[in-house]
Amino acid sequence: MNSPLTEPAANQLASADHPGTGKNNDKREGKLSLFRLLLKDRFATVSAVLLVLIGLTALIGPALMGDLATKQNLLFANKAPFSFAYGWEYVLGSDSLGRSMLARLVVASRTTFSVALPAVAVALVIGSLWGVWAGYHRGWRENVSMRIADVIMSFPSLLLAVVVLYVFSPSAGNIVLILALTRIPIYLRTARAESAELQSRTFVDAARTFGARPNAIIGRHVIPVVLPTLLTLATLEFCYVMLAESSLSFLGIGIQPPDVSWGLMVSQGRQYLQTAWWLSIFPGVAIVVTTIAANVLAAWLRIATDPAQRWRLSLPRKRMIARIPVKEAKP
Amino acid sequence: MTSSSKHPFHPALLTWPALASAGLLALSGCSVANSDGDPGNASTVRVVLGQEPPTLEACESNLTSTGVVVRSNVTEPLIERNPQTGELEPKLATEWEATSDTEWTLKLREGVTFQDGSPFNAEAAAFTIDRAVNSKLGCNVEGYVFGDADLVVAAVDATTLTVTTPEPDPILPLRLSFLEVVPPSTSTTEKVREPIGTGPYKIEKWDAGQKISLASWDGYWGDKPAYAKAEYQWRSESSVRAAMVTSGEADVAMGLSPDDNMGDLGIDYPNNETVALRLDANEAPLNDIRVRQAINFAIDKEGIVNSLYQGKHQVAAQLVPEGIVGHNPELKGWAFDLDKAKELVSQAKADGVDTSAQISLVVRSAQFPKITELAQVLQEQLSQAGLNVKLKMLETSQHLTYQVRPFAADEGAVALMTQHGNQAGDAAFTVDQYMLSTGAQSYFGTPEFDAMIKKADAASGDARKKDFEEIFAYQNDKVVQFAHISHQTGIIGKAKSVNYTPNSSSGDELRVSEMTPAS
Amino acid sequence: MLIYLRKRILSSALPLVVVIVGVFALARMTGNPASLYLPLNATQQMRDEFTARNGFDQPLLVQMADYFGGVLRLDFGQSLRTGQDAAAMALRAFPATLQLAATTMVLAVLLALVVGCWAALKPNGIADRISSFVSMAAASIPDFWLAIVGIWVFAISLGWLPTSGVSGASAWVLPIATLLLRPFGVLVQIVRGSMVSALSEPYIKLARSRGAGELRVVTHHALRNAAAPALTVAGDLTVGLVNGAVVVETIFGWPGIGKLMIDSILQRDFAVLQAAVLLTAVAIFALNILIDMGYALLDARVRPVTARA
Repeated sequence: MNSPLTEPAANQLASADHPGTGKNNDKREGKLSLFRLLLKDRFATVSAVLLVLIGLTALIGPALMGDLATKQNLLFANKAPFSFAYGWEYVLGSDSLGRSMLARLVVASRTTFSVALPAVAVALVIGSLWGVWAGYHRGWRENVSMRIADVIMSFPSLLLAVVVLYVFSPSAGNIVLILALTRIPIYLRTARAESAELQSRTFVDAARTFGARPNAIIGRHVIPVVLPTLLTLATLEFCYVMLAESSLSFLGIGIQPPDVSWGLMVSQGRQYLQTAWWLSIFPGVAIVVTTIAANVLAAWLRIATDPAQRWRLSLPRKRMIARIPVKEAKP
Repeated sequence: MTSSSKHPFHPALLTWPALASAGLLALSGCSVANSDGDPGNASTVRVVLGQEPPTLEACESNLTSTGVVVRSNVTEPLIERNPQTGELEPKLATEWEATSDTEWTLKLREGVTFQDGSPFNAEAAAFTIDRAVNSKLGCNVEGYVFGDADLVVAAVDATTLTVTTPEPDPILPLRLSFLEVVPPSTSTTEKVREPIGTGPYKIEKWDAGQKISLASWDGYWGDKPAYAKAEYQWRSESSVRAAMVTSGEADVAMGLSPDDNMGDLGIDYPNNETVALRLDANEAPLNDIRVRQAINFAIDKEGIVNSLYQGKHQVAAQLVPEGIVGHNPELKGWAFDLDKAKELVSQAKADGVDTSAQISLVVRSAQFPKITELAQVLQEQLSQAGLNVKLKMLETSQHLTYQVRPFAADEGAVALMTQHGNQAGDAAFTVDQYMLSTGAQSYFGTPEFDAMIKKADAASGDARKKDFEEIFAYQNDKVVQFAHISHQTGIIGKAKSVNYTPNSSSGDELRVSEMTPAS
Repeated sequence: MLIYLRKRILSSALPLVVVIVGVFALARMTGNPASLYLPLNATQQMRDEFTARNGFDQPLLVQMADYFGGVLRLDFGQSLRTGQDAAAMALRAFPATLQLAATTMVLAVLLALVVGCWAALKPNGIADRISSFVSMAAASIPDFWLAIVGIWVFAISLGWLPTSGVSGASAWVLPIATLLLRPFGVLVQIVRGSMVSALSEPYIKLARSRGAGELRVVTHHALRNAAAPALTVAGDLTVGLVNGAVVVETIFGWPGIGKLMIDSILQRDFAVLQAAVLLTAVAIFALNILIDMGYALLDARVRPVTARA
């Protein structure tokens, strides 16, 4: 996250298909068989189980932990992990103020998700709809939208963060706002490219000839086709947003104590790397595990459920290239 | 989708980008990495600071990041304060005396020249004072040490200077110790990034963003320093500064944290900084003295010092540490007594004070090592006393809107964490700012307290000392604007190859001439 | 192509102005820098003088007009912090970031091509599993954490590399390795994905059936088709790096534009911030145009290959 926020992640994954496994899924299969399919792929199964566990932790964990995550004991600071000598609370050790690392990781998971999920969701919804709209209509709407995306991408998001934190308060909500705003261009550009390519296709033409209104065409024909790509992109972005939040903490303008998130824990723990490694390693591992599980599952889910898969596979390759400036590049 | 190829890649595919990257590396090597990595040359001492000095302008040298490089290395003052004894000692002035209530006369050292060859004399000294104090430059030292008062300076002859103050000022020589002398050729309309001084080192090169090199100057009037060169670099992470000393890339690292784990390469020194909470008595619930006392009782200072700072700090009972004129050795830190704190809060509540009103604990991020941890401990401990405390971590600029007048309005009750360093050695510099009812960093005072302070400011000698001691005692008994936490200990990293003993002013002026190579 | 270029450059001018106006206005929302630059006990008179001297007492629109007037004369104002010319400070810092970003991206693309292709040859094989695991992990590690661990391991414990700084080629290793990880991780997944698809296309089978060697199939047919998505993503990742590798620059003491930007934000050094943003924005717009032109070229090269299939 060298460049908090403005770094565009994989801004398109249109072509990240798995034909190898994809072929198995070409037959129509019901929900039950989807589950059976999941069990067949060990990696996907493990990922799904992990994600469910992490999700449940974030959902109900903080309530179970009570005040354990904030209860300090200065005489009990920086106790090493993997020992049951001090009770189950301290099996992952204690932090610099003698708080249970386990409880803090659990409470932090909720903050982390309540920043990352809304940020990704807001950017996804706004960026995708806008991009599809711009790409469908082409012309000035497309040009203006793309230039706005340029503006956002070259804007120093750190300044935005400082301003929001200065004028408002450094709450999770405001950080969601900043992260969402700075990530909109990623979806905007991808959706624009895909939709621009689709709007010239026969089935869209057909719908138009039958007098369907543009919004109806977008909703019924364009969005379902574009969605899998955007959802895969959103999974990657989920990881990015967790890291960006962590970088903001490193620069002192992210989530502020006494709130706690995984990113903040990694950032605060870095000064103890030599004396108490577990303070930053555990939350770091939590981020990595969550990311990998989400990506593996998303890759699998995309192949398993995407009705557009066959359609895609039958297309010539170059159509898949999302960001070819179809019009701009050919003056 | 199967392939058994063992050599899937065309070699040419790899060559051109590889060449490109090699070329890029070489290119970058020319423009960025042109500074030769100086191997631990015995005649060079390498210092790593927390930040790049914004400027080396002599009249801004009261700023820590500027002063640590400039003061006593490049430029020198007329009079110098010995950080160990607190006594004033001659530097470019050899003697000084008050020749009337408002006039001081200084005798200047002979045979001193500036690094540009021009002579140091009364004219240069007068020029320096005029430039820093009476000009429109907006020098930081002017506001810091002299306030609004303009001084009248006159060069009586080549080695005699008189300075006249509008009001009697018993500590004028101490104030003058903050002025670094520059030659009359220095610009009076613009600040000068690389000043010329009379010191043992002159500025050799400033690679902006990377490094400052000082080289010893042959024409220095005093003893030649042991190191021929001094190099300054800067890294903002304290763990990186520590690593540079451990790995032999630097000889001295400033501002380390106890968790950098330096072992015997880390040297503790009292850095004159004191941490305290400043309580705003204009707002409920802090407007009740019992609540402010409760806060003092609720803070486990021993626990904080021993656990967070590994016993290196000292529990504080006043804003200035030992060694500052006016420090009251009789004062003991408030006892840690949670029951007493709870009782005081409930008493106040019974008398109609809204003890549930929110108190903002305002803290500046990264102001000193482990400040985030300290802030969370304080929040927890004050909450246990029955107060409603919200932690606000802010960056420097925001924090300043709470720290100095005019204070941010409509903020409710504020408990501000402040780190105060008295560089001057006299309590007046602390008390005038923090305790006078109109002080720039004071929320409130009482007329009686103000009168005591005014009296102490004008006193001198033992009377001055005693007056200030009483002021600190009075604040703890009757005013309680502060909940003192600890006197801090700084840590510098020092390679085995260098002999140097840090003192309380090392953070503000790091005298390279006091460093010698260990044989 | 030239007409297209001119059109693009013209249509980029307005967004540039928008960026600067935005930065100008937002920066001033963060408060008057007077208390940062004056002694703590500065009087109200000193504050007023400071504010007037720097023009902060003027209405925002007047300040902005003054600024743009200056920009037209190539006067970008002076740094409050150092007293130097703001444009000079930005120009001095920019090459350091650009070199770091360019080197990082070249290496990331190369490594990602090798690893991605290797993984794509046998989808779901051991190599594929390992590389996708490693690349996902690589893309999800906080970089400041990695930087500090890197210093600890390679500079202190092993003593192979300098901790930080810019002196000598070895000082480049840790910052680049830290920056490299995320672009590498993301690109591996992109390259792998598009190679898997490309290798299963009919024309590849056709090429194989005609007896083309596996080497030729991968490099001449598949890779060329898989290059476009990688180019998009690599371009966007580069934009991110050019906008400032703040964290890495901060930790390694790298005198780049990211560090300059965050310092000038925290120090309310508006002129420097504006100059730095303007410079990076111009660079990013230029980069975007280059990427689009790269597409046009790639597009032209791709079509004959698919047509043959």
